[in-house]
Amino acid sequence: MPESFLVIDDSKLLHQMYRLIFSQGDLAGSTVHYAANGREGYAMLAAHPELTLVLLDLNMPEMNGLEVLARRQAEHLYPHVPVALVTTEGSEEDEARGRAVGAWDYLRKPFQPSDIQALVRRARELRRSRGAA
Amino acid sequence: MSTDARAVAEPLLGFADSLPAAAAGTAAPAAMLHLLTFTLDREEFGIPVTQVREVIRVDGITRVPQVPAHVRGVTNLRGRILAVVEIRTRLGLTPAVVTPSSRIVVVELMGRALGLLVDRVSQVTKVPVDSVAPPPEEVVTAETDFLTGVARWNSRLIMLLDLDKVLLLNA
Amino acid sequence: MTAGENPFGDLLQDYIVECLPLAEQVGDAFVELERSWRSDEPGDDLLTTVKGRLHTIKGNSAMMGIAPARDVAHALEDACGFLGRAPDARTADAAALLVAGGGLLVELVGGASPELDPAPATAFVERVRVYLTAAPGAATTGSDRRQTERRGPRSDEGGAAGNTVRIDFRRLDAMLEVLGEGLIQHSSLVELYRRLLRKVGAGVELEELDQTVLSLQKTLTRLESTLMEARLLPVSTVLGRFPRLVRDVAHAEGKKVRLEVSGGETALDKAVLDRLGEPLLHLVSNAVAHGLEHPEERTRAGKPAEGHIRLRAASVSGRVTIRVSDDGRGLDVEAIRAKAESLGLDVRNADDAQLHHLVFVSGLSTAERVTTLSGRGLGLDVAANVIHALGGTIEVESRKGQGTAFTLSLPVTLAIVRSLIVEVDRERYAVPLSHVAETVRAEPEAIRQINNQGVTQWRGDLIHVADAGAVLGTPESSRGLRPFYVVMTAGAKRRGLLVDRLIGHQDIVVKGLDPALGRPTVVSGTTILGDGRVACILDVVRILDGAAHVN
Repeated sequence: MPESFLVIDDSKLLHQMYRLIFSQGDLAGSTVHYAANGREGYAMLAAHPELTLVLLDLNMPEMNGLEVLARRQAEHLYPHVPVALVTTEGSEEDEARGRAVGAWDYLRKPFQPSDIQALVRRARELRRSRGAA
Repeated sequence: MSTDARAVAEPLLGFADSLPAAAAGTAAPAAMLHLLTFTLDREEFGIPVTQVREVIRVDGITRVPQVPAHVRGVTNLRGRILAVVEIRTRLGLTPAVVTPSSRIVVVELMGRALGLLVDRVSQVTKVPVDSVAPPPEEVVTAETDFLTGVARWNSRLIMLLDLDKVLLLNA
Repeated sequence: MTAGENPFGDLLQDYIVECLPLAEQVGDAFVELERSWRSDEPGDDLLTTVKGRLHTIKGNSAMMGIAPARDVAHALEDACGFLGRAPDARTADAAALLVAGGGLLVELVGGASPELDPAPATAFVERVRVYLTAAPGAATTGSDRRQTERRGPRSDEGGAAGNTVRIDFRRLDAMLEVLGEGLIQHSSLVELYRRLLRKVGAGVELEELDQTVLSLQKTLTRLESTLMEARLLPVSTVLGRFPRLVRDVAHAEGKKVRLEVSGGETALDKAVLDRLGEPLLHLVSNAVAHGLEHPEERTRAGKPAEGHIRLRAASVSGRVTIRVSDDGRGLDVEAIRAKAESLGLDVRNADDAQLHHLVFVSGLSTAERVTTLSGRGLGLDVAANVIHALGGTIEVESRKGQGTAFTLSLPVTLAIVRSLIVEVDRERYAVPLSHVAETVRAEPEAIRQINNQGVTQWRGDLIHVADAGAVLGTPESSRGLRPFYVVMTAGAKRRGLLVDRLIGHQDIVVKGLDPALGRPTVVSGTTILGDGRVACILDVVRILDGAAHVN
């Protein structure tokens, strides 16, 4: 089943890293959408209710990850789509706040391909358990 | 002699060598003394060129409080502080009045550099050794203590200073 | 992430493309902050932006497994975080730290590779850690703090427009060598001029030549001073890491220690400073490891459990002194005596002071254990050798049960003292700013005569005011009241000194007193001012010592 993912991160380097990760193993062949900032990311999320997982960077200028989550929560946008907040070490506070505004899980940098793969597996599990199509 | 003194002495010696030979065609002198001569009032003094590092113009002598007698102050010698001795008062004369022809003769003694404030510097003079006589007794001034001798040469009377005695200023 | 293969290794170029401009922005921002803080602008926005960039660089570097860049970015992020919360800490020193880090970060990111040398990054991270532990004020005394606080614009400040340049120290040495050649050539020029004068006789052109040659000399001398000054660094460069060191050694030895550092702004030639670190390190570790007793022993002896170590630097009479003192157990004279005897030395008639000095002799360390943290073996002889090689001296004083103090004296004609230049009877004098409380315009009505001494009210106290001409014995003393007085301080003593003009503040290079000058008491050294003239430096301590008090 072709899966699709959304990456919201202001770093081009991270985009390339994700590209690399999503081209390997059982993730190969999936569709990955890329957004470079919070607003663009939000619009893309709104356009793709079928996403398996959203990877949302915390630290972005203008609209950061927490703000994206807060808006999504306020507007009840696709609550079934799991969003993982990507943080850097030392952001425990932000992670807690993330959960409060609807983050499903978090991922700490530096991460490895295996971390993404594990995250995707859990996201798929969530989907199955919810019985989504 | 330090390399510095030699470096300065060479051109001076060269210059002295180029001076016209002594008048009156006398017999060639056996040994010569090379002296740097300078004037205080109208008297002429000389010190061996080998003790002279260089001669500089007076560009400000800063007074230093509480210095021993005969130390006029200090001056800037290319970034180094040079103590300047008032040689006039040391020899019993009145303090110098600095004029454009005043000079500071930088001498080297026991590895230390000191400046001597003089009224005017003459050329480097070569005098035959045998033109030097001990200080005459009839010249009774405080100066005779500081002389190693007097040279009569070419109708000039050059008093040869004993720098060690002159500059033995403090303990 | 393991140190093995990084999965994103192929993306190294992309990393550099993305992070290098960010690092450069950070570097530029720090330079801008340095300028802002100098002009008393807080620069909060810039700090926030920089923090964001650093965070990105940190994360990306972590992803790529480039630890040095990650660590430096992290350290800088911490520093910025602290400075964001503590506006009072935004000093020139703090800015310099940031600028250094910014430069380093650019190098690390630009030269990123798996084989990047971690040493500079480790060193810098250490610096920041020391800075952050020291910053809240624990490691500086009041007077030191005053020196590092934000000052008004300084006329001679190096980075006046916020432009600093990193230069290899060896370049400075090369420049000085070339300058030396220039000075020799100048001498030759003088000689040639004189020969020409004799050959050709006086004349307008020769007069001009003479003046030009004289000007050249002044220029070269100024250049020499400037270059010499460029080699100067504050002692804090070396002292800065000691709080951390002391904490580490204390921890390892199970001791409680309080470290007090002062005089960090005293400047020394870099060449001296570079070699001073080791012996100082040695002395300080020794003090902690051997000098200070364990807390229980101290309490038993009636001392506070926490040992006290003081590191004090000062510029005095043309020399820089650094004093390392502790309130520990003092040198064990008997142990030294025994050890000396075992080495075959005849110490039967030696008194305590003489025995103390033996600690500098090789083989005479009585310490039972080797202090591993200082990295070296036993013996203060090592430290003493280095200091002697630098042309300095080291002395020790000790009292059993009370403590030990080592005093290093370095014959630094390159010591720099920030001074107030004043003019008295057309001569200029330098007064070290550390001894100047204030300069005041002298109002005749405000100064009364009591017992033939001038007296005036100053900040609620009655202080003596003396004529500088009288104090300095200038030949012609002025008739009336000089227009300004400088309030000099030394310890608790205060005295006003009447002068003709206040020229301004200047960083002066202290040169010692020529032996031919005897031993003046009111003057502690000399210096060469910008115009090439020599000025005497007032020995404020001595001047105030000789003065009577007003009751």
